[in-house]
Amino acid sequence: MGLIEEVITIELPVGESFRIQRCRYAPKKEEGIKRISIVSGIHGDELEGQYVCFLLGQWLRNNPDKIRGIIDIYPAINSLGIDSITRSIPFYDVDLNRIFPGSKNDFLPAQIADGVVNIMKGSDFAIDIHSSNVFLREIPQVRIAKSQEEILVPLANLLNIDFVWVHDAVTVLESTFAHAMNTIGTKTLVVEMGVGMRLGKAYGHQLLDGLLNLMSHEGILDIEPLDVRMPIQSHVGEVAYLNAACPGLFVPAIEHCQVIEKGSVVGHIVSALSGEVMDEVIAPISGMLFTIRAYPIVYEGSLLGRIFGKTNGDSQ
Amino acid sequence: MKRFDIVSLESPNRAPLRIEGFLFGEENTEGPSIAIVGAMSGDHINQLYVASGLVEYLRIKEEEGKISGRILVIPAVNAYALNMGEKNWPLDKTDLNMMFPGYAQGETTQRIASRLFETLKGYDYGIILEGRRDQGMCLPYVKLIQSGYEDLECVKDLGMGFIHYRPHEPVETAMLQYNWQLWETKAFSIVFGKNGSIDQNDTDQVHTAIVRFLSKRDILDFHVFEGHKSNILDPNRITIVKASRAGIFISKVRCGTAIKKGEVVGVIMDALSGKKLEKMLSPCEGIVTCQYAHPLIFQNSIAFRIASVELCCQIDAKRE
Repeated sequence: MGLIEEVITIELPVGESFRIQRCRYAPKKEEGIKRISIVSGIHGDELEGQYVCFLLGQWLRNNPDKIRGIIDIYPAINSLGIDSITRSIPFYDVDLNRIFPGSKNDFLPAQIADGVVNIMKGSDFAIDIHSSNVFLREIPQVRIAKSQEEILVPLANLLNIDFVWVHDAVTVLESTFAHAMNTIGTKTLVVEMGVGMRLGKAYGHQLLDGLLNLMSHEGILDIEPLDVRMPIQSHVGEVAYLNAACPGLFVPAIEHCQVIEKGSVVGHIVSALSGEVMDEVIAPISGMLFTIRAYPIVYEGSLLGRIFGKTNGDSQ
Repeated sequence: MKRFDIVSLESPNRAPLRIEGFLFGEENTEGPSIAIVGAMSGDHINQLYVASGLVEYLRIKEEEGKISGRILVIPAVNAYALNMGEKNWPLDKTDLNMMFPGYAQGETTQRIASRLFETLKGYDYGIILEGRRDQGMCLPYVKLIQSGYEDLECVKDLGMGFIHYRPHEPVETAMLQYNWQLWETKAFSIVFGKNGSIDQNDTDQVHTAIVRFLSKRDILDFHVFEGHKSNILDPNRITIVKASRAGIFISKVRCGTAIKKGEVVGVIMDALSGKKLEKMLSPCEGIVTCQYAHPLIFQNSIAFRIASVELCCQIDAKRE
């Protein structure tokens, strides 16, 4: 059984404390061993990570003799947000994942970010599990800034995910938890999967296998490596974005994670008022629809989906 | 005065979003040009008030033939949020001032930012009226971030008491000021007031500072009294007073108050028992530039920021 601790406690104004809790699993001898932090709930409306934390905790409780490193599970960083369907830090309405590494001498969300970095400092690895937001549904994927490609892609390939997306990082992403941790030497992967405010059991089990496999490879668990899937690598193709051409109600024509042909219909934007079909959303390339809109109300520009296809347009 | 739509965006069910601009002066004037951007968030009411007040002021000045440059005022960027008590873009909660320079083929708020930025490019000067991002209120100050293209000298023409001049943070690379500077507009922000309210003194002060700037930069042919010789500050020159406890917060001073070392600046009471938990004392002599503005305070929140002359002198002495 893991050791549950409150690692950050901050008084709230009226008879309550803000808290971040950790469940630590460790072998009896803690010297010279690796440490991994499993992180969830930086965004309060993303819950897939909570289920993964549960599954991992359950596995560790059943297999204490396999533990060879320190495994820290943080299911709810933005605990106020998770318990109130609030993405940002309530009261301040600030996205916690845009103010890292934080500061002791700034407002409360920045102090929380600073505290989070300090309690996880010294971890060899961190896995930051996000759902998508409430608008988009994603297949299990890891996103990696190009500057970190060499170090992190081999690690991501162990995670039993479907897609590794290496992207050109914009400067604003320097304000994320992952960037802050990678900067101080903790190899940190950002997992995106599912959709905000919901659980997908299959994705949770898929990532659990990936976490066990990664920990096996790194000597944190004394188990045989698992037979995991090799993710599609973004460098072998291109990502096409589908943005709404007009406002309305988006009605998908196909399921998520389908392989589609260039020119096929992804969905329609319709008018609830007039009964008209306002636009037909067409796939600009052949490939895998790895993102699809889950929340139907759209404005011009709203993201409807993403397709990953080989550079020559062939499907994967 | 020419009133026109800079952005018009259809909504699924609401009336279209319109970002309106008010243009003063001759289109082809050789005089300098300036654009002033008001409320980008739905709680920036002070900023809306100053910008709309400027529209009316400049309308009169234009009728008097006093405008020698070109002035664009955009009072409200995020009218959708203002009209429903939201802070950010109401659908996806993105902050419009985190979307610059925008992307014409991107998501909705990236497109809005892109269309707005197309209009803002090319102005000689740019003023962004900003609210605070925390629960505070402050003395009006100029925020000038260091992008490599900033112009500290021109900002002094506002005659405001304090200029916060500091390196930019990563998150600010997606903000209007940074991007506007990169596109070679002498852009800066004026930060003031408490979000969601109107402070008559602060807004008057900002209005006067902008008119002074317009006059000194030969955009407005109108004389005004001199303002302050601005104090240049960076975060290292500000002393912070934090709340060691959470509870009901009672401030004993106001922004702008000159305080002595050891003076009581605030009190925190237990919100349930009424017991006094903390008497907050000023650690230095100085001026309160900023204070927490909500009656309920969190533990470790910054309750006061104090500009201390002594600290500034120490830093300057070390540098010399």
